[in-house]
Amino acid sequence: MKEVIAKIENMSKAFPTGEGDFWALKNINLEFLKGEFSGFVGPSGSGKTTLLNILGSLDTPSKGKVEVLGNKIQELNQRQASNLRSEHLGFIFQTYNLLPVYNVYENVEFPLLLLRMDAGTRDRMVKEAIEWVGLMDKIKSRPNQLSGGQCQRVAIARAMVKKPDLVLADEPTANLDTENSLNILDTMLNLNKELGTSFIFSTHDPKVIQYLRRIIRLTDGEVASDDPAPGI
Amino acid sequence: MILRLAFRNIINNGWRSLINVVVISIVLIIMVWMQAMYYSWIRLAEIQQSEWEYGEGMLRVRAYDPYDAFSFEDSYAPVPGELKPGIESGEVVPVLLAPASIYPQGRMMGAIVKGMPQQQNILSFPSHRLESGSSDLTPVVIGQAMAKSSRLEAGDVFTIRIRDISGAYNAIDAIVDTVLFIPAPTADVGTVWLNLAELQRIRGAEDMASYFVFDDGKYRSFSNQDFRYIDRDEYFADLYQMLANERFQQVLMYALLVFLAMIAVFDTQALAVFKRRREIGTLAALGFTKGRIALLFTLEGTLYTMFAFILTPILGFPLFWYFASIGFRIPKGYDDFAIQGMTDTIRFTYPMHEIAIVFLIILAFTAIVSWLPTRRIARLNPVDALRGKVN
Repeated sequence: MKEVIAKIENMSKAFPTGEGDFWALKNINLEFLKGEFSGFVGPSGSGKTTLLNILGSLDTPSKGKVEVLGNKIQELNQRQASNLRSEHLGFIFQTYNLLPVYNVYENVEFPLLLLRMDAGTRDRMVKEAIEWVGLMDKIKSRPNQLSGGQCQRVAIARAMVKKPDLVLADEPTANLDTENSLNILDTMLNLNKELGTSFIFSTHDPKVIQYLRRIIRLTDGEVASDDPAPGI
Repeated sequence: MILRLAFRNIINNGWRSLINVVVISIVLIIMVWMQAMYYSWIRLAEIQQSEWEYGEGMLRVRAYDPYDAFSFEDSYAPVPGELKPGIESGEVVPVLLAPASIYPQGRMMGAIVKGMPQQQNILSFPSHRLESGSSDLTPVVIGQAMAKSSRLEAGDVFTIRIRDISGAYNAIDAIVDTVLFIPAPTADVGTVWLNLAELQRIRGAEDMASYFVFDDGKYRSFSNQDFRYIDRDEYFADLYQMLANERFQQVLMYALLVFLAMIAVFDTQALAVFKRRREIGTLAALGFTKGRIALLFTLEGTLYTMFAFILTPILGFPLFWYFASIGFRIPKGYDDFAIQGMTDTIRFTYPMHEIAIVFLIILAFTAIVSWLPTRRIARLNPVDALRGKVN
């Protein structure tokens, strides 16, 4: 039986507005198993990014419980949340969010610096991650010298370099053309298979949806359906 | 890691960083210049006064108060027996002073007449010029300031009237042997120098003196009913007081300069926190705590000062070199004020310990000013930061 890496129980999230609280997520109950390649699918405002942020300990639930890799998100202090992110989670953003002053190598190396590992191991892991995404020839390039697809591949390498238990990808293909989208999805799927890393996406891109093994549809902050992808 | 990132961000910030570094550097150059000027002025004053009046120590008659002209009349006492061997061996120079009236070209003016032995090697004063020749005229030496105020020149003859210690007036005809450049104003302004023995004779004060100058601190603990030791702090008290007054203005000037430089740094850092919200969110997502992110921004601001430390000697070199080698010329007329040290060109020496303190203060201010805008980071929600949302 596969290990549960994230569990959401009766979780709701409210944001204060001028006219009282707005409930972005309502009574969510979900479980994620190790090695899943799943995603939240839904239109803008359905709550998928909010859910991803809570799973990533960037935000906290207003009600209910969220447990990620044994950490109760609602009970974590700032330092514990930072440790969870730096040690176990990887993030991929729609806008890549690379550090503009660092080259490809340094961007990918960055999460490892937080883990205080020796230089030799770090170098090996960084080069391995850059090879996964096929950017060894761009290792010294800065983000402004790369295409959108290449930047997103660097972001994937950065998310994967420490071999996290869970990668959270927020609309990773939104700024990419079809070819680049499919490329990076292939890369992520390969890493999922090879390393057993769990991926959770937030997307409304059909290209991404066709890659997902589990599709969780969100509508107005509620889980409308939670099904294996067709053909699985 | 944080330092490297901060360094890269500074470099990447291009001309904005350069402006900050140059502004801080200019402030530092001005502060170093001012610091060196005050320091060099005081040092010069101490050296000149020591060479021309104080030596390495002074024993002064208790009745003498340099700020009270009425005390001069009684400023004499017998030479203590303990000092006589020192006087003979040249370790001690006795000086007798007396209030007098002088009559240059028939005009009358007040003066202080000081008698000094012809043979002495402690002070720079060329006392051999005071040797009486066969002439009836008593040779005297005056400084340029005295020459200017009395309109006396070398070779001029004038009358000096002195009251002896029993109250009777004596007069001598004196000839100006030399007009000297005396950098110590207290040895120049209103002062006529003549032979000690001659002055003792006229004053009726044989074997008496007003003060003694030493070539070392051997007599520091000497004291009797007539004389007491004047240490450097007491001797230079008015100079140090003047410096303290100047210091206040100096601190105000520094505060203004530092304030302007810090505004530039604060502005840059506040803008950076605002503009780089997405980066802040990314760093948070990668596992940076808010404290670490704040440290990164604080370090970036502090690095401006570090760079300025490197740039300051390079930018300031021509100025520093000029004032160290050519020097700061005292504007004409300043010698009339008789301010110690303000009589000659001041060649700057740079007090490294004081400059280091100034640098550390600037560094501390920059760190504080760079940290202030980062307080916003503590209030920033990482999710909002990732969206680049303004709180």
